[in-house]
Formats: sequence, C-alpha cells, structure tokens
Amino acid sequence: MAAAGGLSRVDRYAELAVRVGANVQPGQLVDVIARVEHADVARAVVREAYKAGARFVDIYYSDQHIRRALIEGASDEMLSWTPPWLLERAVEVGEERAAVVALTGDAEPNLLADLPGERVGKARMLELAEENNRQINEQLNNWTVIGVPNAGWAEQMFGEPDLDRLWGLVEYAVRLDEDDPVAAWREHVARIGKRARLLNELQIDEIHFSGPGTDLRVGLLPQSRWQGCESHTSEGIPYVANMPTEEVFTTPDLRRAEGHVRSTRPLSLYGRVVRGLEVTFAGGRITDVRADEGAEVIQAQLATDERAAHLGEIALVDGTSRIGQTGLTFFETLFDENATCHVAYGGAYAEAVEGGLIEGVNDSNVHTDFMVGGPEVDVDAVTRDGRVVPLLRNDEWLLGD
Amino acid sequence: MAAVDDRLEKYAELTIRVGANVEDGQTVFINSSVEHAPLARALTRAAYAAGAKYVDVLYRDQHVRKAMIELGPDEALTYTPDWLKTRMELLPKATIWTTGDPEPELLADLDGERVGRAQMKALSEIARQQMIDRSVNWSGVAYPNEGWAQQVFGEPDVERLWDAVAFCTRLDEPDPIAAWREHMARLEGRAQRLTELRFDALHYRGPGTDFTVGLNPNARWMSALFRRADGREYVPNMPTEEIFTTPDCRRAEGTITSSLPLALHGDIVEDMTLTVKDGKIVDVQAKRGAEVVRGQLESDERAAYFGELALVDGTSRVGQTGITFFDTLYDENATCHIAYGFGIPEVFEDGDGGEGMNMSTVHTDFMVGRPELEIDGLTKDGEAVPILRNETWQLPED
Repeated sequence: MAAAGGLSRVDRYAELAVRVGANVQPGQLVDVIARVEHADVARAVVREAYKAGARFVDIYYSDQHIRRALIEGASDEMLSWTPPWLLERAVEVGEERAAVVALTGDAEPNLLADLPGERVGKARMLELAEENNRQINEQLNNWTVIGVPNAGWAEQMFGEPDLDRLWGLVEYAVRLDEDDPVAAWREHVARIGKRARLLNELQIDEIHFSGPGTDLRVGLLPQSRWQGCESHTSEGIPYVANMPTEEVFTTPDLRRAEGHVRSTRPLSLYGRVVRGLEVTFAGGRITDVRADEGAEVIQAQLATDERAAHLGEIALVDGTSRIGQTGLTFFETLFDENATCHVAYGGAYAEAVEGGLIEGVNDSNVHTDFMVGGPEVDVDAVTRDGRVVPLLRNDEWLLGD
Repeated sequence: MAAVDDRLEKYAELTIRVGANVEDGQTVFINSSVEHAPLARALTRAAYAAGAKYVDVLYRDQHVRKAMIELGPDEALTYTPDWLKTRMELLPKATIWTTGDPEPELLADLDGERVGRAQMKALSEIARQQMIDRSVNWSGVAYPNEGWAQQVFGEPDVERLWDAVAFCTRLDEPDPIAAWREHMARLEGRAQRLTELRFDALHYRGPGTDFTVGLNPNARWMSALFRRADGREYVPNMPTEEIFTTPDCRRAEGTITSSLPLALHGDIVEDMTLTVKDGKIVDVQAKRGAEVVRGQLESDERAAYFGELALVDGTSRVGQTGITFFDTLYDENATCHIAYGFGIPEVFEDGDGGEGMNMSTVHTDFMVGRPELEIDGLTKDGEAVPILRNETWQLPED
C-alpha cells in the first residue's frame, strides 16, 4: 500500500489530520478519540502526534456494542450517566489545552436499529457533552474530526463492503489525492475564507431557504459572524476542525426561525438512520417533527434540554464541494453536511458570534446537523437594509468567488 | 459461526459468574486489548445479565504503547493520566482483564530499557493496595486470536486454540460451573494439607537449578479460590491449577533456571537463569530477553526479591495439552513457577505479611517446572520431604 513519499495512505491521512487539522504543537498533550474499529488510523495518528512533538498521547476507544449492551441492560438513570473519570479526562484536556483528534465512521450503522428509539436517544453522557460544549465555546483546544473508512460504512454506502472505493472517495474529499495536500488545503481555506468575508460585509439580517417542502426564514444576530474552514483557539493556534470541510457557517438568533424545512439527505444519528425528515419552526423553536423513519430519535434528543429545539448553526455549501460532487450520501454527518447547505438544532459555536455566548446564542448539550440544501433549494440573504441578495441557485455560489 | 459465538457467550458467563463472581448492582470494569473486543462485548452483556449497575470498558492498544516508546519523549514513558487513577480507585467494583497477545513480538525490536521503563506505576500501586485490602473481586481470562494462535502453533489456527482454551477452562464439561466447583475443592484440599505440614523452606533441584527458598511461618498455601475482605468468593485466574504461597523474601539462595519461554513487555525471554543471594536476584542471564528482565528488576528497590511460589503437577489440564501458550495465565498453570516482585497478601491471615512479604510494583511469574525438577519440603530440623517427582504429587490426597 505504499503511496507517494513511501507513506501508506493511512499514514498520509494521519499526518494531514495532525499537521493541518488539529495542528498539534510541540509539547502539547494530545487526546485521540476513536472507536475500536478505527484502530489502524488511530495508531497512525498517535505516531504522527509524537512525531509532531506531543508530550503524551492519550487515546480513548469507544465501542458501540458496549453502548448497545448499556441500552439493553442498564437502568434508566444509568443511560445518561457520565463516569467521573471520563469527565475528569475531559476537564484535563481543557485545562491542559490539549490538541484533540476525533475519529468517526460508523462500522455498524444499523447496530442500534432494533432498540427502542427513546432509550437510544437518552443513552448519551450528558455531563461529558456539557463539558465538551463548554470547551468548544471557550476555544480552549485545537481540534479536528476525520472519518475513518471501514467495511461497515462502505457497505451502507454502496450495498457492498467496497473499502477501497470508500478510501478513494475519502482521499478525494480531504484532498489527499493532491500532490501537495497541505498546499491544497491552504488554497481551499483561503477560498472559503473569502466567502465568509463577503457574507460578513453584506450585514445579513435573515437567511431564506426555499424549495420543495421548504420555506424557512432564519434570523441572524447583528453580532453573527460567518466563518470559513479555519478556526483559532483563544491563544491563536489555527486549526481545521473538520476534514473535509466545505462550508461557511454562522450562529443564528435562536429566537428567530419561522416556517418549515424538508431534509434533503438521510441523517445518521446515534446508530440510527433518519429518513424523510420534516421540521416545523415557530418563534425560533421546533414545534413539529415528522420523518419516514427515525423521528423518535430526534424527538428524544430534542427533549434533552430546554434549548435543544432551537437552532445553533446555519451553513452554506455550493456545488463545488468535493463531497457534493461525488453525488453520494455518506450516511456520516461529517461528510454529508459538507455536500450541501445544512442547519443544526442545539448548541451554537460561540466562535461564530462577536462577544461569544451573548443573548440569542443557543446553548444546549446537543448539536445535530441536518441537510437542507440541493439544486432545487434557493438560498437568499435579506440584508439589514432590506435588500434581497441571492446566494445560491441550482447549487451555484453567486457571491463573487 | 453460531457455534463459536455461543461458546464465547458461555465463556463470558463463566468468567462473570465463577471468575469475578459479579454481584448484583456492582460496577464492572473490563480492561481489554482492542483486539479482544468480541470478548469484552460478551463480558459486558454477561455482566449486565448478572445485574451489573454499569460496565466500563477500557481498551488498551499495544501499538499506541509502541509509538510512545519509539517516538515519545522520556517524560511520556512514566506519565500516568489522573483520570486513569480515578478510574482505578473507584470502589466497590469487579474487574476483569483479558490476555492473549495478538502481536507477541510487537515490541521486540525496541530498546529493552525503554520498554521496561514504560509503566504506569501509579496504577500498579493502587492495584496493589486493593489486593492488600482485598476490596475487589476480579478475574483474568484469555481471548483466542490469530496472532496468539500463530505464536502457539506456527499457524493462525484460532479454532485449535479455542479448543485448547475451552478444555483448560472446563467449558467442554456439560456443566462448567459445577466442574469448577469440584476442581476448586480439590485444589483447596491440597493447599490445606501443605499448610498443615508447616515446612520451613522448599528446595528445588534440576537442570541449571539448585535453589532453596524460605517459607513464612504465618503464611498459608492457597488455591485461587479467593475471598474478598467481606467473604465473597471469586476465582481470579481462569484457568487455574496451582497452589501457591508467598515466600520469605529475605531467605533465598542459589540458581534457578526457567523451563518455558516468558512473554514480557512485548518480548520473549528464553532460557533464563537467575542467581540469588540473600533473597535478592543478583544476576540475570538468558539466551534472549535478559535486558527486559533487568530493566524490570530496576523498577523499584524490591523488584528483585521473590513474591510467590506455586506448585502444579501433571494433572493440570493446561499441562496435559502439552502446549506452550506463551501467556502467563496459561503457562503458569502448566507447571511449577516462581514470581519475583510483590507478594500475595491473601496468604496471610490478616493480609499483613510483615517483613517476610515482598512489596514492589512488579510481579512476574516464570516457569521452572519440568519432569526433571524435584521439589522437597524442608522441615525446621532439616528433614527433606518429597513434594514433586517427575511431575507427580507425592503427598497424600483425599
């Protein structure tokens, strides 16, 4: 499996995640979060992190089968319990300002499909989610999330476990097919960054999505700031939080969302697949959820806390997206959210607001992106002085690339 | 495949019910290699079925350890994250750990000294304290896998390894739980008789071996039927065929030679001869891997003193397979063995061995038994009583 430079594709991928994604600094503590099925890539990430000068790499492997056993065998109150040692681990990651590399890519996407959706939705470590949320908002860590190709994921996408094909797609999506992926990322970050700048100059008051089954208006705060691919810790370390990433995103006003929206792609959520999702908003709040499949997982999640049913993110993606260009559904939010425009209910990214967690910025322990864009969905901006500016038509970006 | 899975579930149930003997409402910790995930999952299911309140699985990965030893800074080698200590300290709990090295030679090409030093000592300290307090019901079991089978048979015949494991753990019996009860009663009888004889020392004689080691007058011989401080029984090793005691760490003289390869820190130690003076290992020679042992003996001041003597005869199921498993959990039950490092507090009536019990952060068993090895018990007035000849138990049994 030797590729350019004598490194295997696993090693090249790990190197990209460590050098460009998390941008691990010499002497940093590095936290790697993976599933057991990701061991190959996780190990490569650990090696690359030490090569980048990590002082210690702490890895935590989770296992969906253990989660399944919990959902089947534990009492109600244990479902959302956070073991104190895992909370302590997360706190340390924050205090030490560690670099974080998280791996996703569900090896058995239907593993929890036959379990009661309500218990599946509840089975989340709440205190841990709260802590992670706090750290993201305080911008303590340089972090990244990458997807790890595996047979189960390939099977779900293609109907056969064609791992090689999935690897090829992932390499394309994260620009590992380029001769110099690091330079390609620099260019990409600059291009999307310019989009964010132009959107900020427009002084947008409202974003309007319209298309089949969709007529949704989402209000922005005067302090909402559009963000491109690159983020910065509060100490100024740049990092790319998602690989791939194709979006410009911002934090909306949680009080202002009106209308209804039809999801344009299946959503993989806690081991379940949600299809045909339709969501209605009134006064900023989700008032109705319908789906052909999996609605109860969303409903359980919306009941997690008071603010789960308000929006925390809107993101715009056009047809130049490498993920969109594959024409495939990845059944993995990290990829699918970069195929097309999406919105998320739940917690907001304080980084995308001037002043951070000010009034109108959502704060919740959940954050679930679902896809609402596509060639049939028009996206317009309404500026604060009342102009309507078309942003997307037929998946084409209209704002001066 | 269904048959294999069924066996795995039964194996997990045996481990949970007889091994750790998990209590209703207990928190259960499973410490497993990533490669042992199928067993960890089956154990988790069996633990919830037995009434566990919560099951926490911690996967470890030797490749991650390798990367640290190879590429990490010096400070990384001995660093212990606080959260691992917190996890280890939680009581009450049941703990299960898995063995069966999927890549036994993974660390073989690394600097032996760094391999030996790469230990989370703070965790060993906590574990040792819990052993002294007898606060945890715990057990260790092996997971058959390709890499381990390759090492044992020279080919990745997992099915053959599973058969051996099932035989050794009595899973082949119609009622494995009843078979274990009977087995433990027989070993208990042997231990009681040996305790009653109150030998002052043991003498080992054989190829490369002429070794005398003192016994503690306040120590019993035990089987691996352990009891928590509150009396709850559990079996910490599956399989187990040994009876054992903690020797007087101040009294050992002579030379002792290992009879089987020892897997240690990702390396294999072969044909090891230890020279012992005043209770302490003063020289280590080996055909291979002596460095790893020397590194470990320098872990702390008391690592080079002895902590365990164990006797196993030819009726051992592990021994009967004729297989070298390259896994201490198995090989130590094939034949007689000795451990340097910490002593076993359970053998003392009040858990306190005084100065005769060795305290250390390491505990490594190595095999010394073979047909040519003769073991005598020495009485206070110097009389020698044969205990083992040609792997046959010489003392009367019920």
